[in-house]
Amino acid sequence: MGATGDVSKIDEVLKKAVQSAAVFSELNQQTVDRITRAVFEAGFNNRVKLAKMAREETGLGRWEDKVIKNAVATQFVYNDIKDLKTVGIIGEDREKGIVEIAQPMGPILAIIPVTNPTSTVMFKILIALKTRNPIIICPSKKAIKCCAETARICYEAAVKEDAPEDCIQWLTEVSREQTQALMSHRSLALILATGGSGLVKSAYSSGTPTLGVGAGNVPVFIERNADIPFAVEQIFISKLFDNGTICASEQAIVVEKDIAGEVIAEFKRRKGHFLTAEDILKLEALAFDAEKGLMNPEIVGQPAAWIAQKAGIEAPADTQILVAQLKGVGRQYPLSSEILAPILAFYVADNFEKAANLCIDLNYHGGVGHTVSLFSNDEEKIRKFSLLMNAGRILVNTPSSQGAVGGIYNKLETSLTLGCGTGGKNITTENVSARHLLNIQRIARRRDNHRLMRFDTKLYLDETKDARAIETIFNRNC
Amino acid sequence: MLQIQEKDEKLFCVFSGPQNTPACKELEADLLARLKATQLPVVFDLQTVEFVSSMFLRLCLMAVQKVGAEKFSVTNTQPPVKKVFKIAGFDKQIKIE
Repeated sequence: MGATGDVSKIDEVLKKAVQSAAVFSELNQQTVDRITRAVFEAGFNNRVKLAKMAREETGLGRWEDKVIKNAVATQFVYNDIKDLKTVGIIGEDREKGIVEIAQPMGPILAIIPVTNPTSTVMFKILIALKTRNPIIICPSKKAIKCCAETARICYEAAVKEDAPEDCIQWLTEVSREQTQALMSHRSLALILATGGSGLVKSAYSSGTPTLGVGAGNVPVFIERNADIPFAVEQIFISKLFDNGTICASEQAIVVEKDIAGEVIAEFKRRKGHFLTAEDILKLEALAFDAEKGLMNPEIVGQPAAWIAQKAGIEAPADTQILVAQLKGVGRQYPLSSEILAPILAFYVADNFEKAANLCIDLNYHGGVGHTVSLFSNDEEKIRKFSLLMNAGRILVNTPSSQGAVGGIYNKLETSLTLGCGTGGKNITTENVSARHLLNIQRIARRRDNHRLMRFDTKLYLDETKDARAIETIFNRNC
Repeated sequence: MLQIQEKDEKLFCVFSGPQNTPACKELEADLLARLKATQLPVVFDLQTVEFVSSMFLRLCLMAVQKVGAEKFSVTNTQPPVKKVFKIAGFDKQIKIE
């Protein structure tokens, strides 16, 4: 059900959500699966309409790519979760005497970003309903209508299949005060926070358990054994997808100098426009807000040619990606930061070690825990490089936007909420999915355990017995 | 192992091998004496160093104290050592190349 942005109405929204949670807890697996299927179909069948609405309302990206995002968020997510047991007993180990019971968490608040609005709404609704949790959709101010329409379509489909009333609610007005009030409401069980770092931080500060995301700044290392035309093709497929609005999209390319010429030629062949030093300054001034230390939202999700024109850079009209060859990483090199647009930093390194060091710098420059990408056919280098990175996803020979989301180019779980571990201030490095939205209870039956049989309190009270002495006695004849 | 040499008006301290606690203890006194005596900028060269201990990190901080952060840098770090400096947050205090 739609709800206004009035803070005084928040209690009512949560009251409805709690009642919905109570009814939801009675549903069996069959009904839940029927509801999930219906919501998947409804969302999927409206993928084009919703994509066009999102493009029109937000002004970001390409509607054709948003259709694909909507399809991934419904079809692939559904396929990932459809066979998951989420009701009642979901696991039993007779030998250990442990039985696992899935319980819903309760009302979930879904924070929705402007960059992927309708797809994120459908993704979060699917995983919430599959786990019998009511969900409240809190959209970005710039994507209220398309999110409301998406939620409405899903809600109608769910209720038709006996989902409880108010299992999906959505806000039709959004204010900071209202979001804060929602996040800290005592009846809220969990926040699924996908969005800017400020919003995610404020979700964590609310006192409500939160599954959040971190910022990305994805380095891509093209190693000397990579298939260069393939690697560049994959990077273009990824970086151009929805004009670079996915947080896992490539931000910087690092190549060894021996292959730099070939990589640059391939970039140029695909309409990558290498900027002059003067053009880099112009682009920095437009693309990055030095005061805030953040990308300029005006250029997010816009085509390269448009950005070039806006920056006063002369570039061919068919330019696909603006490429800035940089000498370093950090605040003094603004284009080494995350920018969700078809702009790439480009580095040439003397050798593998120097390239790895650059990737470490980029990884730690605002993207810790998120995603890194590597193109290589050398297993030893892949292993060595991966051990050096701090990233939830280390993608090999894969377009990073689509690869990180999972389910298409690899077997990662399909998700629009990418955990970034403690480096990104998150609790998990995993792709968040339905299994993260369950409280698992464990029945633990009494079983013979040799620890209990050998546990002699007298030994522990005897100060003369050290760890080795007790261990020897404890493990005797084992 | 440590070799100290003056070059291009800088004092280069070239370390080799794993910089574990015993290795650092062995070279600590000599190193600090040289750092105390010099007015030149100091560069720790880690070209062949694949492991650094807490004691080595402490030596870096002591070097900063002796010569000042603006006159101290670390160069030729191998990626595993670079990662240690990043995790420790040393890249915010020390120039690491």
